Amino acid sequence: MQFSRNWLKEFINLKISTEELCEQLTMLGLEVDSYRHYQSKLTGEDAIIKLDLTPNRGDCFCIMGIARELAALNGKKIKLPKIKTIKSSLKSPLKVYVSDEAPRYVGRYISQLDLKKKTPPLVKERLKISNIKTIDPIVDITNYVLIELGQPLHAFDSNKLQGDLRVRFAKDKEKITLIDESKIELDQDCLVIADEKKSVALAGIMGGLDTAISKETESIYLESAFFKPEVIRGRPRKFALQTEASTRFERGVDFELQTLAVKRASSLIFEVLGGEFSPIQEFKKSSSFPQNEDIHLYVENVNKTLGLDFSKFFISKLLRSLGLIISVSTDKDFITAKIPSWRFDLKVEVDLIEEIARLVGYNKLPQEPLRTKKRNTFDSLNQSVRSCFTSRGYNEVITYSFIEESAASLVEPKIEKLVFVSNPISQNMVVMRPSLLPGLLNTLSYNQNQGIDQVKIFEIGSTFQKTSKNKVKEVELIGGLISGSEGKNNWTGSKRSLDFFDLKGDVEKVLGNSSGYVFKKAELPYLHPGKTAFLFKGKSQIGYIGSLNPKLVDKLDLKHEVNFFEIQIEKISLKGKVKFKNFSRFPLTQRDLSFILDQGISSSEVKSLISSKAGGNLKEVKLFDIYEGKGIPQGKKSLTFSLSWQAADRTLTDKETDDLVKEIVKFLSKKFNAKLRA
Amino acid sequence: MLFIHGDSGVDIASLAKKSRSLLKKAEDLKILEKIYIDLLGKNGEINLLLKNLGKLPKSQRKESGKVLNQLKNDLEGLFQSRQEQLKEIFFSEELKKESIDITLPGRLNESGTLHPVTSTIFEISSFFTSIGFEIASGPEAETDFYNFESLNIPNDHPAKDMHDTFYLANDSLLRTHTSPVQVRTMEKQKPPIRMICPGRVYRKDSGLTRTPMFHMIEGLVIEENASFSVLKGLLLDFIADFFGKDVDIRFRPSYFPFTEPSAEVDIKWKRGWLEILGCGMVHPNVLEMSGINSKNHSGFAFGLGLERMAMLKYDIPDLRAFFENDLRFLKQF
Repeated sequence: MQFSRNWLKEFINLKISTEELCEQLTMLGLEVDSYRHYQSKLTGEDAIIKLDLTPNRGDCFCIMGIARELAALNGKKIKLPKIKTIKSSLKSPLKVYVSDEAPRYVGRYISQLDLKKKTPPLVKERLKISNIKTIDPIVDITNYVLIELGQPLHAFDSNKLQGDLRVRFAKDKEKITLIDESKIELDQDCLVIADEKKSVALAGIMGGLDTAISKETESIYLESAFFKPEVIRGRPRKFALQTEASTRFERGVDFELQTLAVKRASSLIFEVLGGEFSPIQEFKKSSSFPQNEDIHLYVENVNKTLGLDFSKFFISKLLRSLGLIISVSTDKDFITAKIPSWRFDLKVEVDLIEEIARLVGYNKLPQEPLRTKKRNTFDSLNQSVRSCFTSRGYNEVITYSFIEESAASLVEPKIEKLVFVSNPISQNMVVMRPSLLPGLLNTLSYNQNQGIDQVKIFEIGSTFQKTSKNKVKEVELIGGLISGSEGKNNWTGSKRSLDFFDLKGDVEKVLGNSSGYVFKKAELPYLHPGKTAFLFKGKSQIGYIGSLNPKLVDKLDLKHEVNFFEIQIEKISLKGKVKFKNFSRFPLTQRDLSFILDQGISSSEVKSLISSKAGGNLKEVKLFDIYEGKGIPQGKKSLTFSLSWQAADRTLTDKETDDLVKEIVKFLSKKFNAKLRA
Repeated sequence: MLFIHGDSGVDIASLAKKSRSLLKKAEDLKILEKIYIDLLGKNGEINLLLKNLGKLPKSQRKESGKVLNQLKNDLEGLFQSRQEQLKEIFFSEELKKESIDITLPGRLNESGTLHPVTSTIFEISSFFTSIGFEIASGPEAETDFYNFESLNIPNDHPAKDMHDTFYLANDSLLRTHTSPVQVRTMEKQKPPIRMICPGRVYRKDSGLTRTPMFHMIEGLVIEENASFSVLKGLLLDFIADFFGKDVDIRFRPSYFPFTEPSAEVDIKWKRGWLEILGCGMVHPNVLEMSGINSKNHSGFAFGLGLERMAMLKYDIPDLRAFFENDLRFLKQF
């Protein structure tokens, strides 16, 4: 809503600067988006004020409504425009049948108009300021009244109407061509104005082309109706027809305003175009008018909510200034408020409390501290998992939850499992990500193109999958990716590429020492067939880790091998309460054992067998060397483990340890045909 | 004095002279070591003489032994002092060679960084949790009921236009705010409630100042004495804490279907007022729909955009930088 300040002055003349005026409006809740000075050739010094109105205040989509608010704040009354009474000399040729949805329809037949006359310059100027196109004097005047009083008006060329008018719901698939020449197909949900043959207007939104006024028009039928907000809402959106009229009807137009608007418009039409007028016709169904129920307002509730100490008389005075009719009785602790016909937003007690707060001024209301309570933690934000990764050199990223379809099908080839956005904002954002991988790859590729060689990133976020029951399943994951040279950030560093085990080490670190997690060799189509593992916790798979398939590395034009993992974050159990465990002060016994084994045997199998045979005093088994090549037969490898034992209460003897070692060697040789390497 | 060495005689005085001179002149530790072995080693000259003492006539034995032992001690002393000297020289020269360019950068195990949005969430959460707020979360794919209806936003209401919503193929939608988490909390938990809910939200909007995805943190307090004045007091404390200094703040009336009275909070930033936060008293319809009796309970709620807060705090000019994930951007936080 944009308007001229001088127009507003006709309703209320406040002797304050435009800046102060705008401050007052904003602090009333009619936010001023911007204002600028304007030198009018017709009215002199003026200003253009642009309001950003909230949808609850339909009553402020006009000069009169804005003036009403300022009057209440400043303890003044508004002046209404001068309206010339016009003698009627004609009889209207038609009647209007109203309905529950349009309980008031005020109309007037006006004839012998001279449409060659021009719109007065002041009307033109003010419409221009309000961003409304000037068309012809009749339309311009109806728009002028719309901005001024908030009542949308429509003028039919009455010679093109056939018989009486009726407000009704459209028939299914009924068609209408509107003034803007758009042809639309209606359904039974749309309210129309129809004559005896067909629909002539889409009620509250736009008139029809066939009955529109033109240069040849000499008689009009002026419509000033009240349509209930609920029969207009949603329709402008459905037909993409947001108009000045629909904006107001959707939010609520004063249902007592129609006659005044016709009088004001008639007076202006008469001044500009002359003409002969019928009496004003009012068709109504009073029982269907909006029923604003009276509101009981308890003084205690006002004071408790706002921290005030107002009397009911003072509260009454404030509310009366807004046009509410208040009854106060001395023996009751509440007052009763009757809501004016233009306020669609005042329904319950708290609505009135806000009115009082607005008039007092939000900044003048008192403030008090919130009483403190026991401190809480914020573990649920995965702070420790995050700091584990950042301490290991990873940068946290946040990528969009919606991605390209091709990127999504990379990890989820089954299209029926993908969750699509019905109204995407772009083709890059059509499907909800089934995995964090596409977003991280995108980030990798972006940064590589910026010349950044080493990338270590992670993200925590939701992923989406459609279930067989057509529901959206949302799972929060942590995913991480590394690529580039290992020592890139150091002049002393090695130049080898970051690999699977760099990433696995970091993942193991975040999983902690708890033994519940197991990696098992696996395959995924987008990962390297020999370098992929599923992560299990107990029996359930909770994530995976692997190298991106080199075919993809090549296809995506990535510079180095890429390693990636993804784990359900809620399955990562972090350290609980720390409790001290005693440790032995007796000496540690150590033995290094090298075994020659078949290449296919995994180190973790060997390790767990060693552990199972190493007795109760075993402290640690650590793999410290893997060797293949010279000295080792083809198809075999050598694994060297370092074992250490320690007893809590004594020094272990060499014999004890040697016996255990013999046992282990015997067992491994039986199980895996392993040979102890000299 | 003459000694018998085998059959030939040895002049002990010249041996002493020769040995002293050798030890003193030894050029480096290695040579010194060799001289030592030749003279004083197990099979060195002195020890051999000592071993052969028995071959001497009894009368000479004692005297010669004394002299030889004295010489041995003497030479040991000489050796040690020469060794000290040479070590001193060795280290001072050797350490000179090991000199490094101390201006080279230290070996770096660079730490990573949290995304500035996460840091902002942590910072805000730490303020609120320290005064007893709990943290809650909820799904991003929501239902119309939780995102709109339960928040007093009926279908087709113009207020719904304030939220340009993304719809998912099967009747669900992407939440446009984190308020559904408030509703879910109220359904589960009896008052008193103090909670905040940070998270991703989505609106169909894009440009310099808007991205189709962003983050919000919303808060809810339902307890006795939860009044508009307490809401004001809390938010003033929070803003002062977040910016670490006194900033000018104003509250102005606004409209949200789920709160009444509703307010917007602006801070004075550079030349004008900047909106950072929306808040208000929870609408009785919202309380009732969540199963809380609005006659006995009141509460307030607030919500703010995290990217905007991070932009102000870190002086970031462009919202889009948050999701571009340029490491040169991310590593600054």
